[in-house]
Amino acid sequence: MKEIVTIQVGDFANYIGSHFWNFQDELLGLAEDDGADPIFKNNHMDMDVLYRTGQTHQGTYTYCPRLISIGSQGSLGTLSSSGSLYGDSSCSDILAWKGGVTKSEEKRHEKNLFLKSLSEEGEEDSHIEDKDRVECLERDVKFWSDFSKVQFHHKSLYELKGTWTDFQNFENFGVGKEVLSGGLHMEELNDRLRFFVEECDHVQGIQCVVDDSGGFSSVASEFLENIADDYTNIPVLLYAVRDTFSYTYASNQRKSITRSLHDAVSLSKLSTYSSLVVPVGLPSLGGLASSLCAKDEKNFHSSAVYASAIHSMSTAFRFRPGGSISNTTCASGSLDIGEIVHNLAGQDRQNMVAILDISMPAPPLSDKGNQGNVLNRFHALGPEIGDDSEDLYMAESLVFNGALYSGVNRASISQVKDSICRVYDKGLRAKPKSSHLSISLTPIPIPLSFPSIFPTSTGRHGETLVDQPEAGPPRGPLEVESIPIATRLRSSIAIKPFIEGRYNNLLRHGMARGAKGAGILRDWGFGKDEVDDIGEHLSKMVRVFDPSSEMTSDSD
Amino acid sequence: MSIRVLNPNAEVLNKSAALHMTINAARGLQDVLKSNLGPKGTIKMLVGGAGDIKLTKDGNTLLKEMQIQNPTAIMIARTAVAQDDYSGDGTTSTVLFIGELMKQSERCIDEGTHPRFLVDGFEIGKKATLEFLEKFKIPVVMGDTPDKEILKMVARTTLRTKLYEVLADQLTDIVVNAVLCIRRPEEAIDLFMVEIMHMRHKFDVDTRLVEGLVLDHGSRHPDMKRRAENCYILTCNVSLEYDKSEVNAGFFYSNAEQREKMVAAERRQVDQRVMKIIEMKNKVCSGTDKNFVVINQKGIDPPSLDLLARAGIIALRRAKRRNMERLVLACGGEAVNSVDDLTEECLGWAGLVYEHVLGEEKYTFVEQVKNPHSCTILIKGPNDHTIAQIKDAVRDGLRSVKNTVEDEAIVLGAGAFEVAARKHLLDNVKRTVKGRAQLGVEAFADALLVIPKTLAENSGLDTQDVLNEHDQGNVVGLNHHTGDPIDPQMEGIFDNYSVKRQIINSGPVIASQLLLVDEVIRAGRNMRKPA
Ligand SMILES: Nc1ncnc2c1ncn2[C@@H]1O[C@H](COP(=O)(O)OP(=O)(O)OP(=O)(O)O)[C@@H](O)[C@H]1O
Ligand SMILES: [Mg+2]
Repeated sequence: MKEIVTIQVGDFANYIGSHFWNFQDELLGLAEDDGADPIFKNNHMDMDVLYRTGQTHQGTYTYCPRLISIGSQGSLGTLSSSGSLYGDSSCSDILAWKGGVTKSEEKRHEKNLFLKSLSEEGEEDSHIEDKDRVECLERDVKFWSDFSKVQFHHKSLYELKGTWTDFQNFENFGVGKEVLSGGLHMEELNDRLRFFVEECDHVQGIQCVVDDSGGFSSVASEFLENIADDYTNIPVLLYAVRDTFSYTYASNQRKSITRSLHDAVSLSKLSTYSSLVVPVGLPSLGGLASSLCAKDEKNFHSSAVYASAIHSMSTAFRFRPGGSISNTTCASGSLDIGEIVHNLAGQDRQNMVAILDISMPAPPLSDKGNQGNVLNRFHALGPEIGDDSEDLYMAESLVFNGALYSGVNRASISQVKDSICRVYDKGLRAKPKSSHLSISLTPIPIPLSFPSIFPTSTGRHGETLVDQPEAGPPRGPLEVESIPIATRLRSSIAIKPFIEGRYNNLLRHGMARGAKGAGILRDWGFGKDEVDDIGEHLSKMVRVFDPSSEMTSDSD
Repeated sequence: MSIRVLNPNAEVLNKSAALHMTINAARGLQDVLKSNLGPKGTIKMLVGGAGDIKLTKDGNTLLKEMQIQNPTAIMIARTAVAQDDYSGDGTTSTVLFIGELMKQSERCIDEGTHPRFLVDGFEIGKKATLEFLEKFKIPVVMGDTPDKEILKMVARTTLRTKLYEVLADQLTDIVVNAVLCIRRPEEAIDLFMVEIMHMRHKFDVDTRLVEGLVLDHGSRHPDMKRRAENCYILTCNVSLEYDKSEVNAGFFYSNAEQREKMVAAERRQVDQRVMKIIEMKNKVCSGTDKNFVVINQKGIDPPSLDLLARAGIIALRRAKRRNMERLVLACGGEAVNSVDDLTEECLGWAGLVYEHVLGEEKYTFVEQVKNPHSCTILIKGPNDHTIAQIKDAVRDGLRSVKNTVEDEAIVLGAGAFEVAARKHLLDNVKRTVKGRAQLGVEAFADALLVIPKTLAENSGLDTQDVLNEHDQGNVVGLNHHTGDPIDPQMEGIFDNYSVKRQIINSGPVIASQLLLVDEVIRAGRNMRKPA
């Protein structure tokens, strides 16, 4: 077993994380549940990769995500930052002072029906039905914790306090830089991370989800810089995520320049301290409308889609060696974070920015014609993606969870393999230079905390119902139990416009003579040398796509 | 410096309205903090939106818990926190002093004085007060063996403003001894060499000084000893885990057999490093009752742990970077980055190493070291907020001792300095100033009184007696039990010279900036237009 430590930075990252951990929690629950679909009972996935076993002082065992989540002050809602497993943070005995006390109380956040039903108060209140819980989340989600059903370790949730930052206007790299400077934040974060890493026998990597649309990008890059110093060889897989609001039209020129400079600096810095960067977050989810009806204005919705993809990718990192029950193989193509990084960024072309694609729910496979060519059903989850049909150096890593076969049957490992091979063999799609396929027969479970974003024609197991009327309300966890999903990370020339755009913006707005944004970079505390370094780093990332640079790529 | 334009929709207020807003914000912050000041202040219990509790009596901690939005208040808060970063104390006093300077200014401005004059007067008042402080301070000679009693009095004064007396007095000895332990002649005191460690413990509130180190992790092998005497300590930063990165290259193209070979080769390298350590252990320990402990900053994987355990070695992995330095200062020897550099001279020594387990938390005590220059203050408390409160107090206490040693001077506390400085300004300085800047000097002098006044107020008393006594020429402070004048010297109430200096310095600077701000930008459009 090789452990993964997860780090989430920023509010939208925590939204995604909340869904991500709900999937894990659901899987853990289903594996224990006698009434559940037997497909969830095979134990080919080793949850210890993401979770740790602990023990309270009272001797009770705990099983919690190996996680550090960083958020703004006040972003935890009804959740106490020290969790509830390891003793009570609301004990109010004053033991070290005998003088007077003044009390100042913030307004208590009220738990919604979903959270109430998780805690004891809800159990007595047994008339809360699943329908009420699902609806209350569709109606109103204010904090990521509003739909979280996971118990966190007391070292996991970290609020950035004492920065007096206006997190409403936490819009760019510069404002984030001040946050960790001074104070003991960095020291505390390092200590917490060390706590989780020390108990690992062999860490395979760090999975990091960063809201990089604003100041949290620099909070994360500072933390990652420390991590790179302390844990030299641990690979970092970084998802740079954004919600749809971050694409809102900039209201004036200065804002728009600030934003493009931020994007450039952020990409440069985050990629400096990680092994693979995956931009995630579309201006609109409209492109996925054929299979999902997520609402752009709800972070609760969009984060669920991204979390599904990240979850699916992560399943490949935790297949048990020879993980099978009753002689049927349930998974194939295990790989770890180091391997995926090497596969995508460490071979012919050292491009370290990858594209995340998803097919959700994945269409059933079939051996007829182009039907079931899932590779044509992928949608990129990042912005500014170009074309790569001619790319000779493409590398990809595919993960297939719970594929269906002609309708509603569960596909076997070999059926999945064959159908992918057939697509390449028949030339339905150009075969990439390198391709890796991971398959797990377990689909993605849909917990009650999941939003209702499936079209009316979606069946209980994520299949497409043919005789279903088109119209009707979207379906959610009440109607859909699980879905098949396919995800892909690809390293290809299609990402070039994304990187190049940022590089050019930095040149134009930040580095050219008389550039309007030069002052902005200075305000953020970057001297000329540092700006040059940021530019040089981006330029290098663009150059890996030049055919002429391939010869020299070894020498630098 | 002007306050940044943040909101383009904001509305620009005219000068006097702007100034009043600024003053109000400063006083608002002062009002929040004033009940904190001194040994009779109240502790603040903050209950968060999720029902979680924070307790603090420290201005610094309180400010950091607050979600401050007003730009003026943020500016003051930043100054006060910088005060704490710089000198470790005096946050509350700084906020009160700035607030009071603004309050005194408001009175003058309302009577028609231009802020410019006040600012000039502040400058004069500041200079004169700093000069006065030089005369007023009490020099203490440190030399090779500092006067412990003096150090204790300063530490006690600080600690008693944060913890109740019994606890404060227990900590007084601890912080003084800790600083003396790490102090080395001719070198600045590096308080990072005092590790502050805490343990959650059911009922106990207890703190002790460990001469040596407490690490917050333990060995990771079931067969390693949990307690050992007479230990060689190897402090190192060497990877003892099989590291795949080198094997990775060509992974997708090479065949399985080739891969196996590379894995094996890499494993051999790790094993060789482990063997080097085992050889050293055998060399120094065999035939004796001595033990061998490895404390590594990098990882140690299970096969390496196995080898070490079989050789009777205790091994800890992923030690804090800073502990590499501390360990060497506590146990001697030196930290090695490669086993090739390993010699007997690199090894440190500890008479006792043992592990303590509390639930999932493990602690390793490295004690009975010969000549420690690093030590640990171990805090036990039943809940997080109590521990946090004691931790803050310990930090304050350590800083106060360090300051005293480095300042080679102390200042009478309990408001004595402020009362004396005010009298000096009014009697001797004011009349030398020409024109309306006099008003500024007077405002400055009166603002100083906020400290003794608030101390008195927090004890439910009145300051008038003290002022009367003082007018008769006696240097006095305030007894916070009775409100009677006292002699702080007799009572042993001393503050840090550098803290006082910093307060006097930064207070008027910020106040002046705030007074000279041309305009304040206020968000929101539905406000009445100022006339
Ligand atoms: N026994 C005492 N009697 C009267 N005054 C005292 C006594 N002990 C300390 N003081 C005074 O209390 C003041 C310090 O109070 P306190 O430590 O609460 O605030 P601070 O140092 O300004 O801010 P903080 O410690 O919160 O950063 C000093 O002016 C000091 O002289
Ligand atoms: Mg103090």
